[in-house]
Amino acid sequence: MNKLNMKNMVSLFILMGLSLTSTFATDYFSGKVKKMKWEDLDVVYLEDDRYPTYQLNIYFADGALSDEGIKGVTSASFDYMGLGTRRFSREDIAENLEFFGASHGATVAHEYSTYFVSGLVKDIIPTVKKICHLFQDATFPKRELNKEKKRILDSLDNFVSNHGALARRAFREEVLAGSPYSYPVEGKKRDIRRWNKDILKAKLNHFNNSVKKRVYITGPKAVLDVESVVTKECGWKGQGTFVRNVSYKKPKAHKRPQITLVPVPQANQAQVRFGSFLNYDELDQDELMSLSSHYLGGGFTSRLMRVLRVENGLTYGVSAYAGAQKQYGRAAISTSTKVESVGMLIEKVRETLKKAIAGEVEKAHFERAKGSLAGSYPFGFESSKMYLGQLLFLDHKGEDYQKIFEFPQKVRSFNVEQMAKMIDRIFSWEEMQITIVGPRSLKKTLDKYGDVTIKNYQKFL
Amino acid sequence: MKVRELDLRAALRTALVLLPLLGMVAGCAHGSKKKATSAVKEGELHLEVKKFTLDNGLRLLVFENPKLPIFTYYTFFDVGGRHEGEGTTGATHFLEHMMFKGAKKYGPRQFDTMIEGNGGSTNAYTNFDNTVYYESMPTESGDLDMVEKIIDMEADRMQHLALEPKAFEKERQVVLEERKMRYENSPRGQLYLKMMQEIFEGTPYGGSVIGSVEDLKSLNRDQVMNYFKNFYTPDNAIIIVAGNVDADKVHDMVKDKYGDIEPSTKEIQDYRKSRDEENLYKHRGRYGRHIKLNSVAKNPMFMIGWPSQAVGTRESYVKDILSSIIGQGESSYLNKKFVIGKRPLFTGVGAYNYTLKYNGVFWISGELLAKRNLNRAKNKLLRETKRMCNEAIDERSLQKTKNQYLLGYVSSIESNSGVAHFLGLRENIFGDYSYYKKEMDIYNSITVDEVRKSCQDLFSSDNYIMVSSWNRHPKPKKK
Repeated sequence: MNKLNMKNMVSLFILMGLSLTSTFATDYFSGKVKKMKWEDLDVVYLEDDRYPTYQLNIYFADGALSDEGIKGVTSASFDYMGLGTRRFSREDIAENLEFFGASHGATVAHEYSTYFVSGLVKDIIPTVKKICHLFQDATFPKRELNKEKKRILDSLDNFVSNHGALARRAFREEVLAGSPYSYPVEGKKRDIRRWNKDILKAKLNHFNNSVKKRVYITGPKAVLDVESVVTKECGWKGQGTFVRNVSYKKPKAHKRPQITLVPVPQANQAQVRFGSFLNYDELDQDELMSLSSHYLGGGFTSRLMRVLRVENGLTYGVSAYAGAQKQYGRAAISTSTKVESVGMLIEKVRETLKKAIAGEVEKAHFERAKGSLAGSYPFGFESSKMYLGQLLFLDHKGEDYQKIFEFPQKVRSFNVEQMAKMIDRIFSWEEMQITIVGPRSLKKTLDKYGDVTIKNYQKFL
Repeated sequence: MKVRELDLRAALRTALVLLPLLGMVAGCAHGSKKKATSAVKEGELHLEVKKFTLDNGLRLLVFENPKLPIFTYYTFFDVGGRHEGEGTTGATHFLEHMMFKGAKKYGPRQFDTMIEGNGGSTNAYTNFDNTVYYESMPTESGDLDMVEKIIDMEADRMQHLALEPKAFEKERQVVLEERKMRYENSPRGQLYLKMMQEIFEGTPYGGSVIGSVEDLKSLNRDQVMNYFKNFYTPDNAIIIVAGNVDADKVHDMVKDKYGDIEPSTKEIQDYRKSRDEENLYKHRGRYGRHIKLNSVAKNPMFMIGWPSQAVGTRESYVKDILSSIIGQGESSYLNKKFVIGKRPLFTGVGAYNYTLKYNGVFWISGELLAKRNLNRAKNKLLRETKRMCNEAIDERSLQKTKNQYLLGYVSSIESNSGVAHFLGLRENIFGDYSYYKKEMDIYNSITVDEVRKSCQDLFSSDNYIMVSSWNRHPKPKKK
């Protein structure tokens, strides 16, 4: 078979693959997800008896937006509960939790927060008891807190040595500028210096007593024995009612790409990020957003990977993302290239977006993107922890669980025109924010592509 | 398509003790009439695997798991950075990249298009000992049997790699970019590269998997093709399939597509054996040195490495436990002493026992707090390692480590990909996928006294090499 025929065969196979049904998922999970109440606390249980492990996620309907004045306090109050309580020292707490091999920690977003605990089912009771003890009794001892603050501040001094992480942080702040979501949830140096035990304790009390919570738990049935620990020792019985809702003015749209250059010393490669902020009224059709970003930068066969890496050898990797939280969203393209080829990389990205927006999309490429996204759907169920996370996020956004099962069909139903419109909306070149971490000498190259502002990396720390 | 350096040890150390406590059954069949394979039977770990060996030496392992309509396909080749030499560093990793650039039946872009276009994913990694390729796919896509398709595509590229010159040159640029990202623009990456080169100086592990810039720029197609011809042969490969598949059918299909591939000639087998000579890998490092690298790090970062042992030796398992007790987690000894203790020195500290097929390295790494003196910190740390063994290691810390490993182990087999990787590593290193049973016996039998002795033996010697990275270290002189 010659190459041309083979290529056609590949496209044909992909088209045939689009008929994969999602019935296995509804079959597989029918009866596995149960909603229940522990006193007045809402609980979602995903039964999974394949392994002797559990995962417990506590959802809090508030996040870093509750930090007024001094930022990063929500994140710090969760992260540093283990610094000490009236009964136990920091070392005792670490020793005790790690003895069980348990993992635990918080993820704080602007709109909401989660705290997870996972480990072996046989240890769930003592582990969760200890976590409840921290929530109720953390004292954030001054001496320990000061040590921790110095550790974080000194670590931030070395942030300049991790260009990828610095680019993530700078880009996030720049692309969300003008919205309430721009400031990093973990705060900056100036905030960290002002944290003290009283404000951390007050914040933890807010989450314990006032904020609405939900429990998400997966594992064998025995994990439900933890109910009394959660309701009695954590004291969470569904009494909290506060739910964070935000109203904000749309950030001003600009008419030329805005470029932020963050100079770093001794760099022979530049980290490059492109993206835009998505307003609360642009968040419908998130399946189409997913398809659009997947077409551009999802996997080795995405358009940008083909253009930047395969055809031009410009980069090791590129990825694209577009997604919505409850009240805002963000679209992003993330890549890197050698300093000398930054201009060419920007040109190639612009060209690729322009073609996509004009609807110049090869059918085979479009079908590949749809087949890839819809066909990968079963993998979302391989891990119960991952599936549980999806349920939590849908509840946060107030959406139906059915949305998960409808995803493949929805993706397959889109046409090129719909995708082109979406790419125009989320990756419009004129409204693009481009953040580059690299040598200062790039300024001259970048002037050709938009309004360049140079910002010291310290500004983002 | 990446350099991955720390797979073997991390995966192997997770096979642990206390399994009678598990009482678990993996892969219960939901929505399927087919009965799933149990991972634990009567309290003992048991992965129900079917093993086949073709006449040409190709080994095939199949683990049936019908939970979801998906599967994972791994191919291990016994080749990596240790098979390279002066002038060819980075060649096996470069070859790994080129394996995605087209073969005879499936030309350029067809391999990944077929996989990703049908909802799958594919990637690969190279380390000093192995090159590993993997695909995760839905079992069926429309009328297509994706298992059959993957077998066909993998068999094609194992025999008929194109190494097309234009793609070769483009990929050279991609690998150079990967090198910049992982090492040249990362003080941590630089530390790691230097440590490995110094501790394994004069051995096949003393190169670098990513390759030197000079070698990457001068590698040619013939050199890379030689690696392909010498090492990508059925008698040097293992295939592992895990997921919703029928083992016997998989065997038939693999036999059909791979069965006629010629094994390597005796000459090539002898050449490969010559690279396995244990003497080649004996530590020859020049110890007691402190190598200083200039970087952008405002606060010094460091690694101190000591010679360790190859994977599979009893001592290597003891050192795994030692590294966890002293340097992994908030409650580990060094963290309590130097990070959260009364007079902290570091923003973070960790210990790691990296075991390769023929040798190993034990290291402690960390990052200094601001305004701490690097030499004083080094001396303090080294003094502490000499005196800490009895205090740090006791029954509780040993038990804690075993508990942590157990959980890590369970997590590692919760996916088809995890199971396939777990089996492939053992088959590749020990020639026995079920070697985890022996490992568990070893871990079970390790005592406090043994870990203490290992600790004392390791740290009482001055056989260490320190590498640090700091913006106040002198810049290298320009050539």
